Amino acid sequence: MKASEWIAAYTAKPLTVTGECSLQDAARILLDAPQSRDLFVLGDEDKVCGHLGLWHLSTLLLAKPRPSQSLRELVEQITPGCVADHMDDRVMCARADENVDEILYRHDLFQQHVERRVEDIPVVDDQRRMLGVIRLSDLLGKALETMNSG
Amino acid sequence: MSVLLIGMLLLAGLGLGALGSALFRLPRVVGYIFAGILFAPDFLGGLLGADSTEWTRPIVAVTLGIIAYLIGGAATIGQLRQLGWTIASATAGKVSGSFIAVLAGFSLLGVSVVDVPGWTLALLLAAIATTTAPAAIVAIIHQYRAQGPLTTVLLGMVALDDALALIIFSLVLAGMESSGFAAAVPAIIWEIMAALGFGAAGGYLLERTARYLPEQELQLVALLGAIILLTGLANSWHFSPLLAAMALGFFTRLFGGAHSEPLFRPLENLQEVVFVLFFTLAGLHFSPGVVFSHAGLIVLYFVLRAGGQVVGAMVGARLTGAPRAISHNVGLVMLPQGGVAIGMALLLTGVPRLEDSALLVVNIVTATTLLTETLGAVAVRYGLARAGELGQAAKITDTETTT
Repeated sequence: MKASEWIAAYTAKPLTVTGECSLQDAARILLDAPQSRDLFVLGDEDKVCGHLGLWHLSTLLLAKPRPSQSLRELVEQITPGCVADHMDDRVMCARADENVDEILYRHDLFQQHVERRVEDIPVVDDQRRMLGVIRLSDLLGKALETMNSG
Repeated sequence: MSVLLIGMLLLAGLGLGALGSALFRLPRVVGYIFAGILFAPDFLGGLLGADSTEWTRPIVAVTLGIIAYLIGGAATIGQLRQLGWTIASATAGKVSGSFIAVLAGFSLLGVSVVDVPGWTLALLLAAIATTTAPAAIVAIIHQYRAQGPLTTVLLGMVALDDALALIIFSLVLAGMESSGFAAAVPAIIWEIMAALGFGAAGGYLLERTARYLPEQELQLVALLGAIILLTGLANSWHFSPLLAAMALGFFTRLFGGAHSEPLFRPLENLQEVVFVLFFTLAGLHFSPGVVFSHAGLIVLYFVLRAGGQVVGAMVGARLTGAPRAISHNVGLVMLPQGGVAIGMALLLTGVPRLEDSALLVVNIVTATTLLTETLGAVAVRYGLARAGELGQAAKITDTETTT
């Protein structure tokens, strides 16, 4: 199945913000859509330019100083900044014409997503504009269906 | 034999540190240092065949490089701007206050030690006096759930002042390794420019290379390789390894942006190992004879450093119009001195011209670290209580829950 067909079949709404958005506002957007854990940051011409996940956002807003924290983390706590200051600017995207199975076989893409705690795989057009997302939970559900039917 | 000793030092340090903390509520560093003393050449180290401590030099050089890299990468330019003038000014005041007080005090009182020129001892101790132990301070903030303007200033200051301390220490070392003032100026300029240049180039190359290494294990190889290579280059071409490692950290963060975490996280996880090594190695050099015969110097260093930083930080904070709760407490709560100071002192044991001073400096710094880690914890708690910030994090959480 192509990514474009997948996002038509599984209509998961991607959550997007701009880089200037405050961390508090970004958290509110995530809390309003509890089924999603990923915010994608849109830059010029609405191109996907970054990612900020629930886990990272929570650590930025909730974590208290601990002796085991590094200096880098301590500074992060007292300089909240905006979404652009904390987003991962190398978010991996799938193209609309890519096969979904192929996306998972691309080891580096999948591993990078896992390492950066991204659960939604954004699907973009040639201009890197957001078309939709492939949700990990939908992929898992589909895989279970296939296993059961097999 | 040294490999065996390192393993024993780490495990004994861990054991004694944990026991001291659990049974007597002592800071863990006290246990680390006592573990080192146990394995000193005069005690168990001699029985194990480790008759000298020369083998520790390359380990100290590389591990202090790791700490310098992490300090350099602690903040981005954007974060430095956000920290604000109060933090910058209070940090500059605290660092310069402790440096000037120790330098002036030791010089004016004419403190001299056999085999060690007066200026050498005063300058080295003044440079080391500028450091702080972030973990000891943050532990008190965490334990008493402190929150408020002083706590925020404090967290910013602990992130900045070791960076300034490393710069000052590197410049003092560069000056001392030169023969005369005329030779010192170009040497210092070379130390700074070369360290910045190599650090910046290294940071760029490291960040670019890491993009092609998706596995974090491979990134760690590149990272450690870069720090060790830079330390080696610095020793061969006579520029500051500490400044270079700091610049490497700073520029890696600059080029990597928010994506640079994988280039810091693995070494941040190693930081406690490095500090256990520093404290236990300091214990190896610890000599009760040297400490008791220079007890006056140890007290003098402790008093001058504390006084200098209290006054300096107060002046710095007042210059930016900080409220009294900050200006009158900020120097006091920065009293703990820890791993970076010990690392700097240990590094001196490998500097050819400073071998005579090194043992004395290591012992003074180790003894005062024991003092500042215990008394410093009390000072941090007292300062935060006086500013009315103890327990404020818990109160804020409770208020938010009830409203």
